[in-house]
Amino acid sequence: MEKELLEDYRFGRQQLIEIWGHACAVAVTKAFPLPSLPRRQPTLLVACGPAQNGAIGLVCARHLRSFGYEPTIFYPKRSPEPLHRDFTTQCEKMDIPFLSYLPTEVQLIDDAYNAVVDAVLGAEGSEGPEPCAAILGTLRLLRIPIVSLDEVTRRFQGRRHFLAGRFVPEELQRKFGIGPRHYPGSDCVVAL
Amino acid sequence: MPGPRALLGLGLLAAAAAARAGGRCPERGWSWGRGWNRSWGRERGWNRSRGWERGRCLPRRAMHGPSAGPGPAGLRFLGQEEAQAIDQELFTEYKFSVDQLMELAGLSCATAIAKAYPPSSFTTSQPAVLVVCGPGNNGGDGLVCARHLKMFGYQPTVYYPKRSSKPLFEGLTTQCKKMDIPFLPEFPTEAAFIDELYGLVVDAIFGFSFTGAVREPFGSILSTLERVTVPIASIDIPSGWDVEKGKADGLQPDMLISLTAPKKAAMHFTGRYHFLGGRFVPPALQEKYALNLPAYPGTDCVLQLT
Repeated sequence: MEKELLEDYRFGRQQLIEIWGHACAVAVTKAFPLPSLPRRQPTLLVACGPAQNGAIGLVCARHLRSFGYEPTIFYPKRSPEPLHRDFTTQCEKMDIPFLSYLPTEVQLIDDAYNAVVDAVLGAEGSEGPEPCAAILGTLRLLRIPIVSLDEVTRRFQGRRHFLAGRFVPEELQRKFGIGPRHYPGSDCVVAL
Repeated sequence: MPGPRALLGLGLLAAAAAARAGGRCPERGWSWGRGWNRSWGRERGWNRSRGWERGRCLPRRAMHGPSAGPGPAGLRFLGQEEAQAIDQELFTEYKFSVDQLMELAGLSCATAIAKAYPPSSFTTSQPAVLVVCGPGNNGGDGLVCARHLKMFGYQPTVYYPKRSSKPLFEGLTTQCKKMDIPFLPEFPTEAAFIDELYGLVVDAIFGFSFTGAVREPFGSILSTLERVTVPIASIDIPSGWDVEKGKADGLQPDMLISLTAPKKAAMHFTGRYHFLGGRFVPPALQEKYALNLPAYPGTDCVLQLT
């Protein structure tokens, strides 16, 4: 479907990533509204993989920042693509810290953050090369909630599942058998 | 526990231990205690103190909402050159792309319209909206707005007489067409026809870069729009207005959606709804230009100013 959005519908890749990242951030705020967070500071850890899902995570982090959260990004394997570098710069310029190291002592992560946004893997596969496998190993041990972005629904066992795809034209939804969804008001996400 | 600095530099282990005991940030000489990521006696958000995440303390900045420093409490209205400078900085320093910001801007416009003119409020049988797009970026904002309006349940129709050949604009046009948004081959000749067919007009003709005389076909279009009685929502600047001085005998829109920050022309706006949109200005840039933007509500991408 992404191919069709890019080729037939002529969406730009950066445009799509911006739309997805923004929608993901909105979904996060619905699942974890600011007043509901257990920690004193609204901290979130955003783990970004090297591919497109990681870029979506970067955009998501930036929007979360503007919504009043305090995201911290872990982006160990950076894509050399100029597009992804620009997304990184935008985050840095919003004073979003980038972790140089993800501790293996999970207690530290549980203590520091309210939740984790997992933007490590997309459609590529359930196991990636290092350091993805190591990150995922650590994330599995966490007690704080994890929000996974996009395609990895086969791993999903959690409580809240959102669909962030309001921008997908109806014709394409029908073609790919995504049932029509009613999005409330002008929201870009809907709870499933 | 082995020496924390040996393991991670100013890493997590050091911070975790220090957080319990209280410690000092070596570079800046600041100290932190329990609740170490709370700013020291100042408002929340004044300071990002998790310097261990970068191996150093972060410089102090006003991170949320309006600048916490002294200065005018009121929202600033920008001159044309300032608006252009901020735009430039977003692209060159902050590395935003036109695509990204245009998408967010267009979404803001559609959202503001949805708040002020919900589909149920239309007296026409369908919530029909005419979106008039100019040749430049303001027109691009209009194309994005039209697409989002369609998704929000409106029936937009676009008039886009002078189309840019740049891939961005061709892409936006295709996206609209693929969503079954019709493009008019001609502009309605009479204001009365527009009043009959549409419940709202979106003016996306000229933006903050507009100077000089209005070239055809936009002169005639604006004359017609000036006689329209249905509400007009202008994107960023009512088209035809001087970006700083306004235009007393020009278009009088019912709604203005100022993008990024309002321009001086907005001081001459007398319509019912003034919204702020374009929620993408990084705090550092807001501070640099002392924009004094009020806080957006929750996750909304628009803020109603009046």
